Amino acid sequence: MEPILTFDHVTKRYGNGVCALKDVSLSVRPGEFISIIGPSGSGKSTLLRSINKLISTTEGNIFFDGENVSALRGGRLRKNRSKIGMIFQNYNLVYNLSVLQNVLHGRLGHMSGIRGILGLYPEEDKEKAWTLLEEMGLEKFCYNKAGSLSGGQKQRVGIARAIIQDPKILLCDEPIASLDPSSAKVIMDLLKSTAQKRGIPCLVNLHQVDVAMRYSTRIIGLHAGEIVFDGEPESLSDSVLERIYGTSVTNLVAGTSDEKDWQQAYAV
Amino acid sequence: MQSEKRLYSILFFCIVGLFVASTCFARYNPFEIFFNLENFQAFIVDDFFPPAIPTGLKLKAIFQGILTTICMALSATSVAAVLAFVTALFASKRVSPIQKSPKFVRGFATFLRNIPALVWAFILFSSLGIGTGVGFIALCISSYAFMVRAFAETIDDISQDNLESLQAAGASFIQVVFHGILPSCLRGFISWFLYCIEVNLRSSTVVGMVGGGGIGLVLLSYLKGFKYNMSFTIILAIAVMVLLVDALTNYLRKELDLE
Ligand SMILES: Nc1ncnc2c1ncn2[C@@H]1O[C@H](COP(=O)(O)OP(=O)(O)OP(=O)(O)O)[C@@H](O)[C@H]1O
Ligand SMILES: [Mg+2]
Repeated sequence: MEPILTFDHVTKRYGNGVCALKDVSLSVRPGEFISIIGPSGSGKSTLLRSINKLISTTEGNIFFDGENVSALRGGRLRKNRSKIGMIFQNYNLVYNLSVLQNVLHGRLGHMSGIRGILGLYPEEDKEKAWTLLEEMGLEKFCYNKAGSLSGGQKQRVGIARAIIQDPKILLCDEPIASLDPSSAKVIMDLLKSTAQKRGIPCLVNLHQVDVAMRYSTRIIGLHAGEIVFDGEPESLSDSVLERIYGTSVTNLVAGTSDEKDWQQAYAV
Repeated sequence: MQSEKRLYSILFFCIVGLFVASTCFARYNPFEIFFNLENFQAFIVDDFFPPAIPTGLKLKAIFQGILTTICMALSATSVAAVLAFVTALFASKRVSPIQKSPKFVRGFATFLRNIPALVWAFILFSSLGIGTGVGFIALCISSYAFMVRAFAETIDDISQDNLESLQAAGASFIQVVFHGILPSCLRGFISWFLYCIEVNLRSSTVVGMVGGGGIGLVLLSYLKGFKYNMSFTIILAIAVMVLLVDALTNYLRKELDLE
């Protein structure tokens, strides 16, 4: 299958001289569920945000859906972004608005003019928002303020907001980093099932290796802005992990309480 | 603890020193008021007391004056708030679509703000003539400058996060404004707006005295005519007006849960 997303020798240097991405090349095909792992500061967020040009890159080209992202501006950039769903660690909802309104925000990229400003969404969008909220098990909370939900529920709103865009790819920046283990599992399951049902490829930044192993069809390991591993979860050996995290595996497996909680969540 | 104590005593002596220095410099006698206490007291008790009871046309003029003053404050604050909101978008480091604009817009607002409403009134009166319209503009300018800063800080305070998610979904700048910034900042804006109404009501009385019309002008004409009893009545009326409006804004704050 044709790749939907291609990184062609991409480099990102920030103004302060930090090189967050070094000569990164990769391609993503429909149906893939890719986890990006790496230590803090290795460039995971930068990689994800350069795809929808929330961050612009320094060198190289990123092709998404047949267009060179680096060259896009204005209306064409908006159009491109509307095809990319994004899910955030902090949910990034507008807490003073209702759950339904937050989900409908995903449609803004498809609207223009006064209707877009006033939020006069077409009937079909509203119905779609309803169905999605049902799929997320949130139909009871449609008219509640988004700020009143629990973390796991907020992230489900975030997923619904991304899916309603009809995206061609889903970008998830540490979607479960602020959640307790059991809601984290719910979110990962939902993410995987909703994406797979629609054939949307997923790029997920994670810092739990075991979660990455469990859900991904492919894992990319970043270290200091460089891809040091790109392959199936099965081939992620201890020595590779050491290369990614730059520390011995015993340090990694020694087990933060976080990871133990995860194991417990699965045991149930 | 020890060093804090020393700091306070140094501060205390500095203030005393400054007081003495400035008194000498300005050549005024701070104890004058005590020497003249008798005169002062006589002025208050004999001339101002008792407040006159206004009737007929006078009563009407006072009411009209108060109404004009309140209207001037309300309309000036409202118009300034709308303009300030639009400007604040360009004064906020987080949302401004133009990278360099915050520095300039903030500088401009600070410059305007450092000139009090009364000074604006004098500047405008001497160029445009007197009248409520010009008083309105004077109030508008000063509260506009204040609210630009306040609104921009409010926008910067709310997390960048929810704006980023709208951008990521392909929302345009104006959509981000209406769906992200307005809903999350409205409470903050209203709270500053109410504060500005309180401030402007007081300034509007003073601006009125120098030519802006309203109750200030009515008071001035009685003072100039040495009609102190009636002036006293008007001063009381102004106090009641301020208290009532403050009570109203406080009530609104509670109702809107802004505290
Ligand atoms: N706006 C910025 N300006 C300058 N340097 C930045 C900026 N954003 C990120 N960096 C630097 O770029 C590098 C990569 O950052 P990035 O946020 O992509 O890492 P990350 O892998 O997502 O880390 P984490 O797991 O902590 O989220 C870091 O060294 C960071 O300090
Ligand atoms: Mg990150």
